[in-house]
Amino acid sequence: MQVWTKLFAKSPFKPLIKHAEVVIQTVETLEKALQAWHDGNTEEMEKLAIEVDRLEDVADRIKEEIRDSLSSKLMMAVAREDVLIYLHMQDKVADSAEDTAKWLLVKSPSNVPAEIKDVILEMGRESIKAAKLVYEAIVQMDRVIESGFAENEIKKEYELIHAIEDVERKIDGLDTKLMKLVFENSDKLDWGTGICILNIARTVSNISDKAKDAAERIRLMMNK
Amino acid sequence: MSTAVGAGAITPKQAVVIAGLLEFVGAYFFGKSVTETIRKGILDPSMITDPNVLVYGSVAALLAATIWLIIATKFGLPVSTTHSIVGGIAGYGIAYAGMEIVNWGKMAQIVLSWILSPIASAIMAYFIFKIFTKSIFETKDPVKSARIWSPFWIGMAFVTIGTMFYLKVLHGNDIKTGFLFYGIPVGFIVFLITYTIIRVKFPMDDPYIGVEAIFRKAQVVTSCYVALAHGANDVANAIGPVAAVYAVATMGMAGMKVPVPRWILALGGLGIAVGVATYGYRVMETVGKKITELTNTRGFTIDFSAATVVLVASWLGLPISTTHTVVGAVIGIGLARGVKAINKDIVKDIIISWFVTVPVAGLISAVIFKVLMLVG
Repeated sequence: MQVWTKLFAKSPFKPLIKHAEVVIQTVETLEKALQAWHDGNTEEMEKLAIEVDRLEDVADRIKEEIRDSLSSKLMMAVAREDVLIYLHMQDKVADSAEDTAKWLLVKSPSNVPAEIKDVILEMGRESIKAAKLVYEAIVQMDRVIESGFAENEIKKEYELIHAIEDVERKIDGLDTKLMKLVFENSDKLDWGTGICILNIARTVSNISDKAKDAAERIRLMMNK
Repeated sequence: MSTAVGAGAITPKQAVVIAGLLEFVGAYFFGKSVTETIRKGILDPSMITDPNVLVYGSVAALLAATIWLIIATKFGLPVSTTHSIVGGIAGYGIAYAGMEIVNWGKMAQIVLSWILSPIASAIMAYFIFKIFTKSIFETKDPVKSARIWSPFWIGMAFVTIGTMFYLKVLHGNDIKTGFLFYGIPVGFIVFLITYTIIRVKFPMDDPYIGVEAIFRKAQVVTSCYVALAHGANDVANAIGPVAAVYAVATMGMAGMKVPVPRWILALGGLGIAVGVATYGYRVMETVGKKITELTNTRGFTIDFSAATVVLVASWLGLPISTTHTVVGAVIGIGLARGVKAINKDIVKDIIISWFVTVPVAGLISAVIFKVLMLVG
């Protein structure tokens, strides 16, 4: 009878979903911080940026726990490498949000043209979509396994992956638009503000980039 | 049975009562062949002339198995009671009359069955799970498919039980007759009954919860099937040596030639039932709750595959380990990508236990036997 207790290891998917929840929170908080920055509410922005940093720490701790529990002695429905790399990518989503928050804290650029601020805010909003889709994708992956890799569940998962790719494409477009805007307005901006804005844009677009990488890993998990 | 408790299908109290009852039924009706193998299949009875040898030997075998089980449990090795008893019997035989007393042909057959039974159960679970995926999860309406397919598999279990009933209780010897005239009709009737009974309320938005809800009910039946199969095979462990002692005590050496009396099997069955009622309660509460990752469709597949393999082994008179067979079934589903995470270590432990148990239990038994013979 004792054999039973040793046989089943804890599935890594529930903790992965938990991690994805924290990632959503991190990105949502960042969006609020961007909003506060957009509105010129510096005090509120700083508070929220620090909260982003804290949430990223929480995600990191969950990541460590999952890594420790994924011993190579486990036999899993998906390859251990895929789970580990997926986790790494999902965690990078929160990391990118933290990077943005850092730039907001380092130098909070004032007198930025409104149209540039608008584009950055829109990128932030789209990033939340990407993070939420990653969460849905990992929940769906759990269902794919639950169904014994049934075709219809795999199809639903592919739809989510495509949606993530769409968001990434859209943010990419916004990123290009922003870069152009920065150079068009170069006479109005000092060099420091320019660097800061470009870096904020780069780190925000990283969020969806990593979300896409995570989705890519899920695609590999489903390969038979 | 503990899987059914863990899944919340039945309460621990219900489980204990049902399991105890079915273990008894299995032992009483289907337990004879295996008990005969343990009693006189491993050693050549004609080479034992002194009745005391049988009595001391059987006691030594039982003690050795107990001691080895306690040691192995301390080290966390998944050792089988069945394997220990077989080792213990071979051990005292060799200590008494040397290597040639052991029926090596039979012994090889038994050891081979230990290796083959988990493999057979793994292959079976693999394919049943694949069929589950195709016939239930991949359909447009999984709940509707589950309503048809869960009674089908329960029916299949009863085909095996019906055939066994013909072979073991009615002493039929033509397996085809048993299968066609007992197995199939019994299975079909049970299919019809369960099909009409299965009406489960479930949230419409999630078909998988519905499927699991249906199999939660179905799993009560398959876990009963496991209890029955377990009783049939495991009664031999303790009662085999006891039967040998009893036969000698009442009739001397001539006793080895007559079959095991039914009431001894009943005694064995009762022993297992009492064991389930006293010790099993705790095991079911702890074990059942720990296996949270195991859903009902998986539990059903494991139960069905393992129990069928154990029942077929009982019919062939082969004493096998139920636990190892269950582990085989779990691995089978794992290979079909049906379980999220399984500890592979356990497989290594089981293979080690295959090689260690028989020699060690044999050695302990030989020593106890020698001491008993000196003292006696």
